[in-house]
Amino acid sequence: MTSKRNIVIGATLAALLVVLGTGQSLLTKVAAQSASTVMAPKFEVDPNWPKPLPNQYQLGQTIGVAIDANDHVWIVHRANPDEVEAGADNGTAGCCHVADPIMEFDQAGNLLRHWGGKDGPGYQWPASNHGIWIDYKGNVWIGGNGNGSDGMVLKFTQDGKFLNMFGIKKQGLGPDSLAEDRFYLVAKIHVYPKTNEAFISDGYGNKRVAVIDADTGKMKRFWGAYGNKPDDKLDLGAYTPGAPLAKGFRGPVHCAEPTADGIVYVCDRTNDRLQWFTLEGKFLGEIQVQPESKGDGSTWDVDFSKDPAQKYLYVADGRNQRIHIYDRKTMTELTNFGSGGHYPGQWYSLHSIAVDSKGNLYTTETYQGRRVQKFTYKGLAPVTRRDQGVPWPTSTGQ
Amino acid sequence: MKRKPVMYLGATSLALLIAGGVGLIVSEHAVSAQAPAGGAAPARGAAQGGATTPARGATGGGGAPSYRVNPLWPQLLPNHWVLGAVSGVAVDKQDHVWIVHRGADSLESAEKAMILTPPTSFVCCVPAPSVMEFDSAGRVLASWGGPGLGFVWPQSTGGIAVDGDGNVWVAAFGLEPAPAGRGRGAAAADPDAVGPPAARGRGDAPAAAQAPARGRGAAPAAPAAADAHITKYSPAGQQILRIGTPGQPGTPDSQTGLNRPAGMAIDDAAHEVYVADSGNHRVAVFDSNTGAFKRSWGGSGDRPTAAGAGPYDPNGAPGRQFRDVTCVKISKDGQVYVCDRSSNRIQVFQKNGQFIREMVIAKNTKGAVTTIGQAPGVVLNASGSVWDIAFSNDANQRLLYVADGSNDVVRILRRDSLTEVGHIGDGGRQPGRFLAVAAVAVDSRGNLYTGEVHHAKRVQKFAPAAAAAAPATGNN
Repeated sequence: MTSKRNIVIGATLAALLVVLGTGQSLLTKVAAQSASTVMAPKFEVDPNWPKPLPNQYQLGQTIGVAIDANDHVWIVHRANPDEVEAGADNGTAGCCHVADPIMEFDQAGNLLRHWGGKDGPGYQWPASNHGIWIDYKGNVWIGGNGNGSDGMVLKFTQDGKFLNMFGIKKQGLGPDSLAEDRFYLVAKIHVYPKTNEAFISDGYGNKRVAVIDADTGKMKRFWGAYGNKPDDKLDLGAYTPGAPLAKGFRGPVHCAEPTADGIVYVCDRTNDRLQWFTLEGKFLGEIQVQPESKGDGSTWDVDFSKDPAQKYLYVADGRNQRIHIYDRKTMTELTNFGSGGHYPGQWYSLHSIAVDSKGNLYTTETYQGRRVQKFTYKGLAPVTRRDQGVPWPTSTGQ
Repeated sequence: MKRKPVMYLGATSLALLIAGGVGLIVSEHAVSAQAPAGGAAPARGAAQGGATTPARGATGGGGAPSYRVNPLWPQLLPNHWVLGAVSGVAVDKQDHVWIVHRGADSLESAEKAMILTPPTSFVCCVPAPSVMEFDSAGRVLASWGGPGLGFVWPQSTGGIAVDGDGNVWVAAFGLEPAPAGRGRGAAAADPDAVGPPAARGRGDAPAAAQAPARGRGAAPAAPAAADAHITKYSPAGQQILRIGTPGQPGTPDSQTGLNRPAGMAIDDAAHEVYVADSGNHRVAVFDSNTGAFKRSWGGSGDRPTAAGAGPYDPNGAPGRQFRDVTCVKISKDGQVYVCDRSSNRIQVFQKNGQFIREMVIAKNTKGAVTTIGQAPGVVLNASGSVWDIAFSNDANQRLLYVADGSNDVVRILRRDSLTEVGHIGDGGRQPGRFLAVAAVAVDSRGNLYTGEVHHAKRVQKFAPAAAAAAPATGNN
């Protein structure tokens, strides 16, 4: 705590120096002293990314984002604009059209390939989309999230050619968190190159992490909260802030993200909780994020900084409309940014995040937010306040 | 851990000091006016969406000016505030921008989580006061109004106007009558009025279990009296005058009553207020100081009727009566412009109500009639192409701007011929795009401000491209 007090003094002194217009070198020295204690990734929203969509396309609820090897940004959305937004499709107005559910953007924000939404030989398109992943072989995975029928994930080439369906798609499905042959209402997929395994956030119906072989789809293992065998009969009641932590995932199990060093971070969304595990499912630890959050919960998605150690963990909090930045070693929150709203850098139901090779962060919004946004990575910076607010640009960058 | 906040405090002052000394430099989209797209709405370009062409200082097709959206205007709101559906925008004599928005009633539960009972978040968000004044840099100056805060607030606001004395007028546009069958109601109303009058839980129907913490929040409260009035407030929000009585809609020949008025314009020299009396299919003129009735007229200058013009048929004649009247605006040369929204029509009159001319815009526009959410009878009605009108800032007001919330553009028309010379925007949620653009206003420097309803809930600023080409330091 002593060092922290020094920060106070240091920062205050620095502030005074700024006011007084004292020499830059002294200021730098003071700043460097305080900076050595709390540093965190800094971001700035790019209000001009992506470029305006062509063809009067409207996005639906945008419930997944992923980055491929070329740093292209892929999103999946529920192509479900209402009549006002799809007026041109309905013949009621000159604007707009529903866009294909899978869309690829380059770094400049141009829309490239877009496809999906229709059944094809060997597969039915999900009744509701959820989650996208581009695996290390370049293939595109999406989750099936439609009530009553979606117990599968689908794999395509980047051009939309169907490759595999793992799980079951048929009417009358319900939760079965012990099922070996299917999922139920998948939230997300993450293919782990080292083991060629797909970690399935399973999901909205089932309450588990399921791990399959990424080529064959064979179920390899699955687990519930604390690494226990999932139990669909567990009655957790309503989430109550401050109550003892739930024994089971309340769900949706909304992310399951393995790191390079083999730790799987799992979003237990309406418990406002992250749990982390070994790749094999051994429980390692847990925290809550904004545990006062009710409704649809605070832990929607996670991703990591791009340094080899993946030192920082980013938590997308679609209840409080923030991205929390954690030190992954201590799992303490260093800072957060963002706020609620419809302007650049704000969110209305922040849903998914992904980080590109340069450390830039992309977000998507569900419900009526329906955007994909880019937050440019600006390097590590001293944490000057815990709640940074909306990271608007301080220079044009163009 | 206790000392942490102290650290942040100290550091915050540093951040603030630095921020205060560094002007925000914004990057801006170019939004050049697009060439006109003919009258038929669905024919508009299916090609590249078109807000990107940088056309600094250049003009678009047909002599229309080009604009750049300022994606970082207004400045970030304090107090975890968010805007509801922005139903009205006006610019006062000081070039301050006034908006009225529909607050909690138009927000979904995830947008107002802090006022739910119980709150589901403690940091996001709270509806901002319904009336807000911004300077041209986007700073909030005044903010007041809204249900439950000592105001008799409309069920659903319409337009806003600021008179020469700086007083602020707000129209109580109201909720659409429940539609008969699945057809349009007798009179189309507001595209964002998505709640049946009997149940006030607009926005997010499934949240019925969540009672409002204060004011009209997420859930049904006592029904507000039917909107049938306009109110004149001081710049600080003190009520000065009300014309019409909430809960007592007037008829088309009433000299005291209104019926879901959508907007108004003030003739300062004549001390008159012109009211777009939508539910009565008329323009009604009152003394702006006393509220005394002066005159009124219906579509084409005829006597207004309760039936209006009936359902709109793109293949038929538009009819003489108004369908809904969503705006009235007065040009400097004394012409009165009226939005007959679901007729896709502008009509122009003398101040005495004598009909001059009309123009149909995007005649095939039908607008959407749809239900959203799960609540039965919840209607979302976006109809027609002519939602609001503003004049260009030149002395002759050569151009007319038409907010077209169905086709998601602001159309630019020559005022003399009412022919379209270009448009701004396209559909979408990104900066410079529109989703149900309901209101438009222009300041003395030619900056354009728009308000969006439905799920966009924004006020946006567009600067003339020539002006925007100057280094964008500060917050313009």
